[in-house]
Parts: sequence; C-alpha cells; structure tokens
Amino acid sequence: MTWIVQRYRRAILWIRAHGVVLRNSGLAIVVFLAAFFFTQWWDFTVPSLGRAPYQAVFLANGQTYFGRYYERIGAYAKIEDVYYLQQSQGSDATQAPDTRLLRRGKELHAPAARMLVPKSAILFVEDLSDSSPIAQFMAQDHR
Amino acid sequence: MNLYDPDRDPVRRAGRWLRWGTRWVALPVVLGVFVSGNLDARSLPVFGPERESAVLFLDGQAYFGHLDDSGDSGTLVLRDVYYFANATGSLTGLPVGLVKRGTEAHEPADGMRINRDRVLAIEQVGPAAPVMQAIEAERQIVHSSPAVISLNRTTIGAVSTLTAQRVAAEHDVQRGYTAAVDQLAKLNALVLPVSKAEAAAITDRAVGDLRTVRRNALAALGTTLGFSATDAQTYAGATEAVLANQTFANEPGVLLAPDLNGIVNRATELYGQVGDTYAKQLTQPKTASPSPTPSPSARP
Repeated sequence: MTWIVQRYRRAILWIRAHGVVLRNSGLAIVVFLAAFFFTQWWDFTVPSLGRAPYQAVFLANGQTYFGRYYERIGAYAKIEDVYYLQQSQGSDATQAPDTRLLRRGKELHAPAARMLVPKSAILFVEDLSDSSPIAQFMAQDHR
Repeated sequence: MNLYDPDRDPVRRAGRWLRWGTRWVALPVVLGVFVSGNLDARSLPVFGPERESAVLFLDGQAYFGHLDDSGDSGTLVLRDVYYFANATGSLTGLPVGLVKRGTEAHEPADGMRINRDRVLAIEQVGPAAPVMQAIEAERQIVHSSPAVISLNRTTIGAVSTLTAQRVAAEHDVQRGYTAAVDQLAKLNALVLPVSKAEAAAITDRAVGDLRTVRRNALAALGTTLGFSATDAQTYAGATEAVLANQTFANEPGVLLAPDLNGIVNRATELYGQVGDTYAKQLTQPKTASPSPTPSPSARP
C-alpha cells in the first residue's frame, strides 16, 4: 500500500514540476485539433461573395457539370451536388433526343457528393441565373 | 543603481511571446492544416474505413483504386487499380465490366502514375457502390489479406457479398443459355433449306453443346470460388438443375468481380460460337460434294 502512496506523491510532484509544459502541450493539442477540423470544414475553398447558388462548369472533354462550384487553393476546384445532362435517343430516330438532368451518385461507383476537378480540365465556369430551369430543378431537388 | 528590468522590457516580452506562440500555437496550426489537407476525417488512416477513389480521365476512362495525391509533381499514384472495360452485349446486361489492372499483356506492376493534366475529375467511391462490392468480392476470391497496419486498409468482401456475386454470375450464364436456345427456336420457325428431321437433329446437337458450355461455365465458377475439381462438377450439376427453365430476363444487371466477369464473358463468347455454327448448318443448303478424283484426260 505504501508504494502506491509513494508513487502517487511522486506523480503529483512531477506534475507540479512540469505543469507549464503540460499546460502548453494540452493547448497545442487543442490548437492542432481545431486547425484539423477547421481545415476539414474549410476544404481550402476560396470565398466568393455575391455569386449565384449554382454554376455550370464546362470541361475540356466537352462535358458540362452543374452544381455548387468552389474555387480552391491548390490544383483542384470542387463541385458539390453535381448534376449532368444525359441525352437518350428514342425509338424514333427522326425525333430530337430526350434530354434529362441527372443527379450524380447513382452510377456504378456511387460517387460521394464532392467532386474534385483539376483546374487544367476546366474550360470556363458560369453562374446559373435564378430563372434557369436547371437551377430551379436543382433547388427543388434539394428540398 | 540600474533601473533596467529585463522582465519588463517590451521588446524582450514580445520576443518571449513570439517564441511561445510559434512553438505552442503556430506550429500546431501548421501541422493541423497540413495533416487535414492530406486526410479525410470520414476515412482516417489505420483504423478508418477504406478510401477508394475514382479517377475519371478526359478520354472517358474510369480507374478505381487507392489514390496518393500528396506530391506536388503533377503526378497522381493509383494503387490496387481496377477499371471499366467495354462489355456491350455481355450477359451481365451492363455496358461495362470491371477488370483488374495487371492482367494485361504487359503485366504492369502495381502503382499507376497518372498525369494530372489528363484527369477530368476525382470522386470518392461509395462503400455500397456496385464497383466496391465487385472489388471486395474479387479480394475474397483471390484470398487477399489486408495489411495489419496500413494507411488505407483494404476491405475484404463478406460471405454475403460473394454469394450475391456468385448468384448473379449463375443467372448471367443461364440468361446466355436461354437466349441462345431461343435464337435456335426462332431459326427453326423459319423456312429452312434442310428437312424438318435434319433441323431437329441439328438443334438437338446445338442444345447439347450449349448445355456443355453452361455446365463448364458453372464448373469454372465453382473452381474460382475455391471448390475442388470434383466439388465444382457437383456444384455445376446441382446449380444446372436449379437454373433449368428459368430465364432471369428482367433481372437488373450486377457488376461482377473481374474473375467472375471473365467466366461470364468466356461463356458469352462460346454461346455465340455454338449458336453461329449450328445456325450456319440450319440455314445453308447442302451442296453436292465435288468428286475427290478428277477424271483422267486422254493423252494427246
């Protein structure tokens, strides 16, 4: 029993002697975790004021993705809640192909809502106006 | 008497605060941002779930694997790579099939270095996605074992995942058999240049060959799943009896593990070859065979 008390006293003395270092280390851990989770939330996106809620992103291979576009620090930009247009030709070849707006996520690899696009693959980005049928569809789909 | 007190010197105090702040605040902030920038909190290394990435190329190809994009060299490294191959007309009913990188003629080693300029987008593969299910089943088929400590632990498919894949492959094989038999029946309904009796005999032979293809495909499935040769034959016989007379025509397609997909593709090919051979016999009129020996001409 005596050795437990001795060890306890020794531990208390050690804590008192190294109190400052322990306090600073605790602070450093809290700061590290705060920076970690802040960065996860921030995701290196560059704030852009006054922009429309949805954008059209035209890519180098001719595809267009619609969604919430975010400029990011680094090699990639980000699109969240991505939609794309799919054209399918009906049985009557003389009629115009049927075009549908699809939400990305139901493909064979069931991608997550966040898509990273290398900036080198982006031709240009346009804001969608509030009256845009695509923007209205996306807003309605999110409700 | 010296009135200078170094503890009260504002420059020295600022220096002390700066040193303290650098060591205990700025350094943890930089570390936190750096670590967070290279990690995803939803799939932390070592103990988090697997992080499978999809790399979509400008030319339309899609590759799946463990992505390392930590370098600034403009090159991404993808490991344990799978990709989509065109599978139009396949028995799976899907336009693509999954292939494991490394089985090509040049047998590339693991670790694909990708030029970022050719990349269209990078996405995270969903844990319940058909691609993920097929990859997990493939790992179970090849008895892949995850490393004890890994920054991105691989997930091996559960027994239920492999069972679902096996059943889907069985149905694909049966669907191919039914389609080939239906094709023969449609040919028999036409006006053929051969007699009814001959047509029936040819059709019987064709159906027998198609059954052999089906049985061999099922036995190959059994062997791939780890059965011995005898058990695989028993499994093929039993499964054949279960599948008989079922069409699975309206069943949705399932993306198969590469090894199972290979068997189904081979069965597709053989069904086609058998069908073509017997269709030719049914539709081509019999011609008189040429005389084996030419008649001798009179010498001048």
